[in-house]
Amino acid sequence: MRIDNLDESLRDALRAEVTTEAFCLDGLEGRIVTEIADRLPKRGPLDLLRGLFAPTRGVRIGQFAVLGATAAIFLMMGIFLADHVPGFDRTPSAPERTIATGHMGNEILFVMPATGAHDVSVVGNFNDWEATPLADDNGDGIWTVSIPLSPGRYEYAFVVDGRWWGQDPLADGYVRSFGEYNSVRYVGQVGDDA
Amino acid sequence: MSKMKLSPPKPCILRLRRKIRSVYRGQDEVSLLRASLAGETEAWGEIITRYKEAVFGLCLGFLRNRADAEDLTHDAFIRAYVNLRRYRLDKRFSTWIFTIASNLCRNRLRYRRYHPVVSLPAQLNGGTDPARIVAREDRGIQIRQRLDRLPYNYRAPLVLRYYNELSYKEIAEVLSLPEGTVKTRIHRGKMALKEALEKDGVTQYENR
Repeated sequence: MRIDNLDESLRDALRAEVTTEAFCLDGLEGRIVTEIADRLPKRGPLDLLRGLFAPTRGVRIGQFAVLGATAAIFLMMGIFLADHVPGFDRTPSAPERTIATGHMGNEILFVMPATGAHDVSVVGNFNDWEATPLADDNGDGIWTVSIPLSPGRYEYAFVVDGRWWGQDPLADGYVRSFGEYNSVRYVGQVGDDA
Repeated sequence: MSKMKLSPPKPCILRLRRKIRSVYRGQDEVSLLRASLAGETEAWGEIITRYKEAVFGLCLGFLRNRADAEDLTHDAFIRAYVNLRRYRLDKRFSTWIFTIASNLCRNRLRYRRYHPVVSLPAQLNGGTDPARIVAREDRGIQIRQRLDRLPYNYRAPLVLRYYNELSYKEIAEVLSLPEGTVKTRIHRGKMALKEALEKDGVTQYENR
């Protein structure tokens, strides 16, 4: 009885079997390559031209990365400007929006650009919807008025030469009532319905 | 499973193909895979040249049937090419292609359970010294016959270990099994093989 190493015998047996049977692999590459080439879509001259401009996967990822980085830079710039440049901030606490006048109330500046208008006024629930006129002293078409208001929520609209103008760009929001838009402004804490 | 009927390529195409493939012959595996991804089918041809025997050996060891092994070697390379975009270049290509071939074999074995085929007896290997070759082949045939009867769960890790020479970790990856299970199955498979061979009384194997 002979003593053998099973690992080696197993290895030899499997290798010998493959060596014996591997003749069937002759030309396998060619067969597969032909089959793959037949499966691939045929490319015409127009496709080749399109391929020059169509981004590859890597380029697409690169494009998204550049887009993302640009967006991030703009966001950072926005945050920086909001913090450091006066007048850039669009929050209701910006200087042009409210002027603090002590504990009793805030003086709110209403601004309406209306070049060539003759009569501009503001109406709202702070004046029982009675017109408070705006003035354009220097004739630059920017009509303004400051109204002292205690903290709270106010609905208002401008009336320009008799026409209702309910969507003030500086408003905190808009509501629609009786088929017309009214602007909403919060005085005091932002968004506080006090 | 069923291959497409293809007309043989013209001799000039074959010559051109050989010329192109000679360009790829010296290239490293990653470059070949990148070229294949870019649609250069001849680069994939070179990949096939490098791996076809290993994949065929795996299929033959798993299935114990030459016709099926040949068929699945072909299918494995087609499937790998179709799914090449899913292959991660930081992983070993051999493990990936072996996983594909192993999954195909498992499916084919399931199919064969209901559609069995009769395998042809193994051919004898030729050689210079007939006495030695016959003695070695005799042992080889015995081992292969015993492997045929070994359950697939034990045979597959043995083939990956002793023919494809994969590590336990790689075998676990290919067969989607825990590493401990792979070690146990290899040990038990070898023990079963040893017992069966020693029962014949011709050869005794070392305890390893």
